[in-house]
Amino acid sequence: MLLENRYYQLVSQEIAGERGAFHVRLLPECAIYQGHFPGNPICPGVCQIEMIKECATLLTGRDLRIRSVAQCRLTALASPTVCPELEVEVLASSVENGFLVRATVSDAKQKYVDFKGEMICREA
Amino acid sequence: MRKVDITRLIPQRAPILMVDELVRVDGDEAETSFEVKADNYFIEQGSLAEVGLIEHIAQSASALAGYKAITAGATEPPVGLIGEVKRFHCYRCPRVGETLRTTIRMGAEVAGVTLLSGETRVQEEVVADTQMKIFVP
Repeated sequence: MLLENRYYQLVSQEIAGERGAFHVRLLPECAIYQGHFPGNPICPGVCQIEMIKECATLLTGRDLRIRSVAQCRLTALASPTVCPELEVEVLASSVENGFLVRATVSDAKQKYVDFKGEMICREA
Repeated sequence: MRKVDITRLIPQRAPILMVDELVRVDGDEAETSFEVKADNYFIEQGSLAEVGLIEHIAQSASALAGYKAITAGATEPPVGLIGEVKRFHCYRCPRVGETLRTTIRMGAEVAGVTLLSGETRVQEEVVADTQMKIFVP
């Protein structure tokens, strides 16, 4: 996992079939905020997407890589101050050699990410 | 075009500075380069993770926007954020030591949102392409 315990911490998870809900805590001391942006910490959208990939990996038990993103909307500005804790909800439907993944990242206030893409199992 | 240091063109800094150089600007088209180094934040099993490619393409577009802004007299590059990623494909994750060359085509700007497309190659091989919306908050 690239970002677990570096960018976020997994607090709890609930998995039921092809659905998973992952409660995560953002780590405000993460080095990424030194550069994104100096003096103005904002969650990089790509880190939110990588977090979805890691939750999909936990859900499916497979080592996944992103083959395509049909559409991913970043609908609100996120930062460790704005949203210290987040809910990552993932639906992974089996397709040949991988999964169609739909996911959202949100908290009680709003939705930050709406993701639709295809992830494939990494070759051994 | 005149050569401008990348830190004057985009506001991102280490460890998430994902463009080395703005190589060419031609109207609404530009080309950037970026070497994948071992200490890159997005290295996973010796390769650049897919999201590293997305970020590199977004910052390539920011470099073009920054070049236009600086050329027009701005002193600081604008802060742009990804609003949407659409039709992104990762054909292969580039390995440490490889150099990315990315072509950006900027579309129209409407209400602070710019549509663009980007294609990233390692030598002749296309490794990723995408469409994207960047907005300036």
